[in-house]
Amino acid sequence: MTTVMSKPVSAPGKSIIEKLNFFTALALGALSAIVVWRLALQFLPQDTEVRLFTREDKITLLSMTAWFVGFMTGIGALVGPFRWLMGKDLTHEENMFLAGKDMGVKRYFRYTTDHKVVGIQYLVITMLIFGIGGILAMLIRTNLGTPEGGWIHPQAYNSIVGTHGIVMIVGTIIMVTGPFGNFIMPIMIGARDMAFPRLNALSFWLIVAAAVPLLWGQFLGGISTGWTAYNPLASQAPLGMDGYIMFICIFAISTMVAGANITTTVVKMRAKGMTWNRTPIFIYGVVASVALALPAFPVFFLSQVLSAMDRALDTSFYNTAGGGSGWLYENLFWIMGHPEVYVILIPAVAALMEMAPVFTRNPLFSFNVAIMGIAGISGLSILVWAHHMYMSGWAPLLNTPFMLTTELISIPTGMLFLVLVGTLWRGRLWMTMPTMSIFALLWNFMIGGITGIYLSDVPADAFLHGSMYVTAHFHYTLMGAGLTGALAALVYWFPAMTGRMFDKKLSWISFWMVQIGFNIAFIGMFTVGLAGQPRRVEAYASTFNTGNMITTGGAYLIMTGMLVLLYGVISSWRSGVIAPKNPWQAKTLEWTVGYPVPLENFDVLPVVTSDPYGYGKAKS
Amino acid sequence: MSVETHAHHEHPDVVGSRNRLGVVLLLVADIAFALSMIFVYFYLRQQNVNDMWLPAATSEHPAITPLASGAGWTVTAIAAFGLLAHFYGLKGVRAGNQTQLKLGSLVALVASIAAIVYQFNTIATAPFTFSDGAYVSCFYMFAILNFVHIMLTIFISLGNWNRARLGIYKSDHWHVDIVNVWWVWMVVSSLLGAFALSHP
Amino acid sequence: MSEQMTPQTPQWWKKPDVKKTAILWAICTVVIGYGGAQFNIRNIVSPASLTMSGVIDLMQIFTWASAPVAGLVAAICLTVLTSKRHYGDNPPADADHEIANSPRVVGLWIVVSSVLCLFALVAGFIVIQKDSAELLDSDAIQLNVTGQQWLWSIDYPNGARSEDVYLPVNKPVVFHVTSVDVKHSFWIVQMGIKIDANPGYTTETAVTPNKIGVFDLRCAELCGLLHAYMQTKVHVVSQADYDAWLNNHAAIEKGA
Repeated sequence: MTTVMSKPVSAPGKSIIEKLNFFTALALGALSAIVVWRLALQFLPQDTEVRLFTREDKITLLSMTAWFVGFMTGIGALVGPFRWLMGKDLTHEENMFLAGKDMGVKRYFRYTTDHKVVGIQYLVITMLIFGIGGILAMLIRTNLGTPEGGWIHPQAYNSIVGTHGIVMIVGTIIMVTGPFGNFIMPIMIGARDMAFPRLNALSFWLIVAAAVPLLWGQFLGGISTGWTAYNPLASQAPLGMDGYIMFICIFAISTMVAGANITTTVVKMRAKGMTWNRTPIFIYGVVASVALALPAFPVFFLSQVLSAMDRALDTSFYNTAGGGSGWLYENLFWIMGHPEVYVILIPAVAALMEMAPVFTRNPLFSFNVAIMGIAGISGLSILVWAHHMYMSGWAPLLNTPFMLTTELISIPTGMLFLVLVGTLWRGRLWMTMPTMSIFALLWNFMIGGITGIYLSDVPADAFLHGSMYVTAHFHYTLMGAGLTGALAALVYWFPAMTGRMFDKKLSWISFWMVQIGFNIAFIGMFTVGLAGQPRRVEAYASTFNTGNMITTGGAYLIMTGMLVLLYGVISSWRSGVIAPKNPWQAKTLEWTVGYPVPLENFDVLPVVTSDPYGYGKAKS
Repeated sequence: MSVETHAHHEHPDVVGSRNRLGVVLLLVADIAFALSMIFVYFYLRQQNVNDMWLPAATSEHPAITPLASGAGWTVTAIAAFGLLAHFYGLKGVRAGNQTQLKLGSLVALVASIAAIVYQFNTIATAPFTFSDGAYVSCFYMFAILNFVHIMLTIFISLGNWNRARLGIYKSDHWHVDIVNVWWVWMVVSSLLGAFALSHP
Repeated sequence: MSEQMTPQTPQWWKKPDVKKTAILWAICTVVIGYGGAQFNIRNIVSPASLTMSGVIDLMQIFTWASAPVAGLVAAICLTVLTSKRHYGDNPPADADHEIANSPRVVGLWIVVSSVLCLFALVAGFIVIQKDSAELLDSDAIQLNVTGQQWLWSIDYPNGARSEDVYLPVNKPVVFHVTSVDVKHSFWIVQMGIKIDANPGYTTETAVTPNKIGVFDLRCAELCGLLHAYMQTKVHVVSQADYDAWLNNHAAIEKGA
């Protein structure tokens, strides 16, 4: 793309691109879903087989697919491909229109290709997802306040647990690479936009399209299987399972598209002079995360396609009566499932590594070790999946090799600790909420890591697997480490994204409430795990009462802290202190463009001549 | 810390190499998808749970036997022919011969349409139903993958031929190169499916 | 380890922050090791088999082995947090030392973490070997366990069948576990054994109970509506009581 031109959008009549937006998408999606549902109801033959739900599953899956196709057509995702087919590629003016030139607020409700708009869209949807997942978490914790469970019906409770799981997993997957990977990353590498701006818009709107089947599924019996949706439990689950299946399939496409896009952008579009040695560590984190998702998510996608075929067509991939195997599902699921936790964790840790030099005014300790750590974790993570299946009995002889690969991951993980600790050492601490988040991450990730060593050990796992201990462990890594990094990133990059400073006092209050609440809640959960409480239960023996009460109390403190944070986001965004151009005096490129960031970021492309962490050295 | 240079128009080669990398990365995802299907095939076959990989004869249906290997390999052969035709066109455009490009892409389009007709026929006339054991499930899995791949190929070939016809590839032809990458993968993936289904 | 971070100064170990970190390191290591071990031992169930005792020992060993690493990180954090803090809207001056790398520290760190990792592996491997020996014991009682939504049934060699588990003390038992519907997980909490009950497959686990008493059998894999209630008791009794129960129960089974 070339420099910004001041030509107005010339529109002979109103072209189709200009008519499409979020509302036409909703309308077309709903319309196609209803039409297909009606037709399927009319014309699909009745089941002759003994299996119960096959026809209903077909109808549900077809209507959900129709919604998906209708929505994506209505938002304008197909315009580009069809223009290519016709041989009429989009003109420069049309591309500028798609980028949201001179459109104000409306561009947030369109198939807008500008990476900054997509970044903000991702930020908002991530907050919405956390809001929903958080409400579900509070329902779970409230129900577990008393041993006999009680006021939530078991079926609804199981569905809440499953939905909380999948919603939070998706939220944490996109929480760093979505908002900051899209808004900040291209500016940080000195690019005008992503490599494929239309794919960028596609990856965001796919998530919106995916959300509807999940919601829809809640009215068809919900996801009563936990987020792992193990078969054959999933094949006997109600129609809500089809919502889960559609959701995962669409979300997997979104992740793959985003992965190809972000990786290409970083490989091909870094500014002149930004050698790999001068590329900020955050970029490495984002690329490792999305590149890891590229081979991982298709496997997840396949596992759900096969699940859908089992349900709707009565095939036997997982159905043992017909020659299928539940272990097949577990393998497919966890081949994706373990890389996925590092997809969540790596960019969050990398974001804190990016901030550590800024807030200690120290160079990043051992840049190469940081890269080795990230690369080592990414590489090993695709070889460890079966540690989720030690106790499944699928291959007892493979337990030892998988124990080896799993424990090897502690070496590159240790490197990440070394980099953070080495950067802090003799730093001049500038006390802000992101600074304290580094310490919080070290604390939480240390607990998550050490408990992970117990769990990676086969004999100890024979006791701990499937208990609340596991739940507490992965909340320490994904929430204690991952979310802490993401919240710090929000405060750190808030000025670049909104032009205003995040309210300092509110950031501190919410930080302490969330961190203290978090540790209370999940240390409480460790105690009941050690005492033998299984996961995903809606009632438990009265001996676990104290631990559960502590956890529930901690959860309410987290909730209050998160509400404070939400208030902070809204109030600072509306009326916060106007931020100076480079409020943290950082040395990376995203702070050179000012606010509001021009449509194509840089009028003239920058050339990088120095290392991004040159603190404490001769100024360049 | 940073000085700035003047902007410039991006050269088609830069855009082309960027697009090629993007497509290759998307193919990585698709390759992972196809390879996990191969995993599914061999896992279920090796497990043979309840002896239902290829169910024995019952009162309701005769014993299930693997398909004659011809079916899978024929689709691969048609796809390989399409790839050759496309490559012929690509060589033409590289040598500046637009007529050869138009011919090659048209033949490739015809080959992809032939492939989908044949693939549809294979699925429609398969001598079993969905619930006839794990081998049959895998057959449908590969057949549907092929079907979807060929549908995409038709879309791409149609666009490629249309754009060749309109003379869009006179100035630069990186689109044609990328379509060639897709054709190669298309052949390989159908080869994988055919290999697995012919029951090695 | 941290002391080596300033190798170019001859007397780096005399710097006040290094001394402070060293003292804190010692304190933090003891606090974390002791605190962690106490946390484990106070909360974990009391063992009813050597397998479970092995699990507890393993966890305590790992806790103490990781305490120095955690202690070092904590000590450095505390040292940094208690010196040179800067508040305000503008950044402080740049830090006055400029170590961007230190091959010695990095090398030492990687060697130490590799050794710890190897140690964890070996420790785990030894325990695995010990546990799997019981599976091969030819004197062991062979029990068939079937999970179904939402109860367990146990079949004894002489034809008796029950929903609770009865075991004689100090005698190895092998459980052959399967399921008739969805996946369950067979978990005898106080004995530290667990194996999934998979439809279409039979899996094995083994244990030797060493304490008379009543213990818990819980399902550890979400299996639908009443998963939380899919639990029952494991009665470990003396050999004589076991034989009596078994004969009695087999008779009931035959009479029915």
